[in-house]
Amino acid sequence: MRNSLNDGTETREKNYKVFIFLGLVWLAFCVLGIRLFYLQHVNYEDNFQRSENNRIRRVDIPAERGFIFDRNGVVLVRNRPSYQIVIDAQQLPRKKSGKDSVFRTLLNIRDASGVRMFDSASLDTAFQRTAWIRNKPIRIYEDASPEQVSVIEEHSHELPGVYMVTESRREYPYGTLAAHTLGYTGEISEEQLQKPEYKKKYSSGDVIGQKGLEQQYDMEFRGKNGSRVVEVNAFGRVVSEVSGMDAIPAEPGLHLVSTLDFKLQKVAEEAIPDSMRGAVVALDPRTGEILAMVSSPRIDPNVFSLKKKERNRGWAKMALDTTKPLVNRAVAGVYPPASVFKLVTAGAGVENGVLSKYKFYPHSCTGGYTYGSRYQKCWGVHGNLNVVNALRLSCDVFFYQAGLDIDMPRINEFGRRFGLGEELLGIDIPGERRGWLPDSVSFNERNKRSGWRWARGLILNLSIGQGQLVTPLQQAVLVGSLAMNDGVRKPHLMKEFRDSKGNVVKTFKPEVIRSGTMKKSTHEILLAGMDSVVNHPGGTGKRGALPGIRVGGKTGSGEWKKGEKTHAWYAAVAPLYAPEIAVAVILEAAGGGGAKSAPISKKVMEAYFFGDSVQVKPEVDVLDTIPVEGD
Amino acid sequence: MFFLKSGNTAKIDWVFIAVLLVIMGCGIALVYSASAPSSEGVPFYGTYWFKQIIYFACGLVFAAAISLLKISILRYLTFPLYLVSLVLLVVVLFFAGDVVKGAGRWIDLGFFKLQPSEFSKIAYLLMISSWLSKHPVDFLKLKTFFVPGIMFLVPFVLVLRQPDLSTALVFTMVTLTCFFFAGLKLSDLFFFMSPLASVVLSHSLVSYSQFLWGGFICLLAFVLFKRRLPIAYTVIIFLVNILAGYTSSMVWNHLEPHQQKRVETFINPLSDPKGDGYQVLQSMTAIGSGGLSGKGFGEGSQTNLNFLPEEHTDFIFSVLGEQFGFVGCVGILFLYFLFLWRAMAICRMYTHPFVILVTAGACSIFVFHIIVNIAMTIGLMPVTGLPLPLLSYGGSFAMTCMILVGLLLNMRFHGDQLKG
Repeated sequence: MRNSLNDGTETREKNYKVFIFLGLVWLAFCVLGIRLFYLQHVNYEDNFQRSENNRIRRVDIPAERGFIFDRNGVVLVRNRPSYQIVIDAQQLPRKKSGKDSVFRTLLNIRDASGVRMFDSASLDTAFQRTAWIRNKPIRIYEDASPEQVSVIEEHSHELPGVYMVTESRREYPYGTLAAHTLGYTGEISEEQLQKPEYKKKYSSGDVIGQKGLEQQYDMEFRGKNGSRVVEVNAFGRVVSEVSGMDAIPAEPGLHLVSTLDFKLQKVAEEAIPDSMRGAVVALDPRTGEILAMVSSPRIDPNVFSLKKKERNRGWAKMALDTTKPLVNRAVAGVYPPASVFKLVTAGAGVENGVLSKYKFYPHSCTGGYTYGSRYQKCWGVHGNLNVVNALRLSCDVFFYQAGLDIDMPRINEFGRRFGLGEELLGIDIPGERRGWLPDSVSFNERNKRSGWRWARGLILNLSIGQGQLVTPLQQAVLVGSLAMNDGVRKPHLMKEFRDSKGNVVKTFKPEVIRSGTMKKSTHEILLAGMDSVVNHPGGTGKRGALPGIRVGGKTGSGEWKKGEKTHAWYAAVAPLYAPEIAVAVILEAAGGGGAKSAPISKKVMEAYFFGDSVQVKPEVDVLDTIPVEGD
Repeated sequence: MFFLKSGNTAKIDWVFIAVLLVIMGCGIALVYSASAPSSEGVPFYGTYWFKQIIYFACGLVFAAAISLLKISILRYLTFPLYLVSLVLLVVVLFFAGDVVKGAGRWIDLGFFKLQPSEFSKIAYLLMISSWLSKHPVDFLKLKTFFVPGIMFLVPFVLVLRQPDLSTALVFTMVTLTCFFFAGLKLSDLFFFMSPLASVVLSHSLVSYSQFLWGGFICLLAFVLFKRRLPIAYTVIIFLVNILAGYTSSMVWNHLEPHQQKRVETFINPLSDPKGDGYQVLQSMTAIGSGGLSGKGFGEGSQTNLNFLPEEHTDFIFSVLGEQFGFVGCVGILFLYFLFLWRAMAICRMYTHPFVILVTAGACSIFVFHIIVNIAMTIGLMPVTGLPLPLLSYGGSFAMTCMILVGLLLNMRFHGDQLKG
């Protein structure tokens, strides 16, 4: 170990190590010093100039927002360039006189029609804001036309610090077509920023998808902004990229190929005039793909890409409209299912052995039914019927008695199996509302405040579909899955995502969300019922029949207010024995379902089955079509 | 001073203390200058510079208290402290209290945010010094590396998982320094680090990599030849280097493009304008625009306009560079060197290895922070988030620095309690 002999050499070695340590530190400090000398003396001029004018800017390269296509490649949503005129605080003349001259020049600029482009009040506000917003340009004119841009460019030598920024804005070439489904874009609102799920992803001022697919798949559409660092000249125009800093290119957003079929959508849109309130849902029960989805009255999402003033005006008009055009009735409208629900009552009856082809009730339909002290009317006089004919004629008296026999729990269980009820179907657009299938417990729970209590008499109403709540989407899912007897597929609008080169990056995986099966005998009876509604004499849905294709369906006329016309329901599926399309139509306060809604469904189905002969041409050329399946 | 016996007064290094106070004064002034524009209207007790004064004042009291401890007490506390630091590191890893900048590194105690990685730097320094002072390492006896190796790896891996690469590298720096002072030769350290150098130099992204690496291998061969290690050592070291050189490019080519990109932007932040690159560019512009003599106190246009988002913490040096120029920067570097030189003088006063190791280790922590931080602000090194000792704003790190100063003072006052 250590002894006195060793001490001398050890101390020497220790001191030598201290010397080495400090020597290395000295060396490193010298390197830092040399680098500092290089930056602060050799490169002084460059750095000083840069810092004086703050000539370095980090510029975002905005990512192109992804488009939305229909299933065949028709562009439903795309982008257009939008020119913004901005002033940049750091490039404006520093002296007041210089600023004033820019101000005056701007005020005097007139566009082609001789109208002044800027008003002094808003321009003054913008100039005042330059005092504290120094590191980003301030917009003084939104969404300028190319003519207006060229007018400004002509004057650019008189306008230091005024320049143009190009933005990309959303464009909906078909205006109101499928507007509720597509959604629109808008600046993120204060309320949204408060929410944790938004806080994580967005910051104030971001333009994001609002409503519909735009909102649902915003992250996919957005892509990723790129960025580059540039040097600008005294007029705020980019002179060069800063050497040694690479630009990061923007990653464009993904294109959504939706399940919508432009042809069907157009036919469905045209079938309902904007003056009527209602909704149409057409879907493929085999996969859950939504083929068309209409909600009327409509909105024009292009309004949200306009100048702020026009945007606000348009928004106010829609928000204040008593017909509530902003609501997507197809998923967020809840209505009593009306007679369409008789399919569920009948199904539950047969499934549980209460009803059969040979079951007749003692009370034949004489125009009404007495239960307790109450007399409940039927809409006609139908005589004594079995279940199939009761469906065909939509006889209330038969279903009053059947309902009492089966009781609500069994009926509701059957309905939930096929997509009705409180659980959301989970369609991929926001705003879906839950339905309601009341039984004694949930009825009392819901009406706690008003004091109404459950009574057995209510079964009479419920068994004919008065009192429940369903959405048009649920109705379409219901008839589709009843005809399928093979599970309920999740309804969806996203077919696949493609990148900007057209490669498929994500496809929707079909998902069974409810069991959606029943006994074969039940299935047969329901099919026979749906068939007879449309194709047999006296059937209430005969206006929905389509020559050459076997359509099955059920009509409904939902009472919602005394003295008003009924809500017209019609839900149909075709071909009945090998379903490809299910359609649900509701028209609010329009009258009978068979008369009003069935023809609309017929048109949609016609377009689906014989669409090639019914030529519907997109108004816009399918130029931006990206390759579809098979490429 | 009153707390020392009369015989010990001579041990007070007034130069060291003066340099320390001057640097701390500079730090407060720079924090004041950097944060002045953003703290208009804030009462003085809410400003950054005032908080920094409080931190330093607390730190000085703490340092004085530590300097009074007997070394035996210090050594007695070493192992428990080390264990506690490991427990805290585990706790912060699994129950991160507060997430600052994506990395959960804090335990929120309500009144104070404890940063276990800072605490563990000191605990580890004491632990490794304590062990190595009793069991010196020898390059030719590999088993002497076993225990210190484990002592090093446990906190290293825990910190790396946070993930906090820079702190992990501080551990490495302390370890290498302590190994050096505990028996390794300079050439041994060279052998230790040579595979890493091989990986870097042989990399295809480095310009003239084949010449650089070729030259390095020649140098290695020369040093191996001069050192005359046992033949097995020689062969293994040589082979490991060759292998490291060849696999580095192979592994690189197997990485995914985004992983490659991440490494690239780490090494060269300027290639990523979205991330740290912009900040480094602004920092370099700020420092460069200071020129030889600077723009004057409080006059920096870059820093005053808040182009540097974190100038009062990690980028404080660019405030210095802009306002005081080359003269100011070199002045601070000189002060730092003086500080380290006076600190290292302790090593020459005493012979006990514990004193020497603690002193050298503490100095190495300072050195690493100083070099990495300044090199970052002038675009020579990746952005790692290591603050500049005694200049950067921040309570946790100010405390670490002052504890290290306390340890240095302690060694100086009580180094003779241990007989080597």
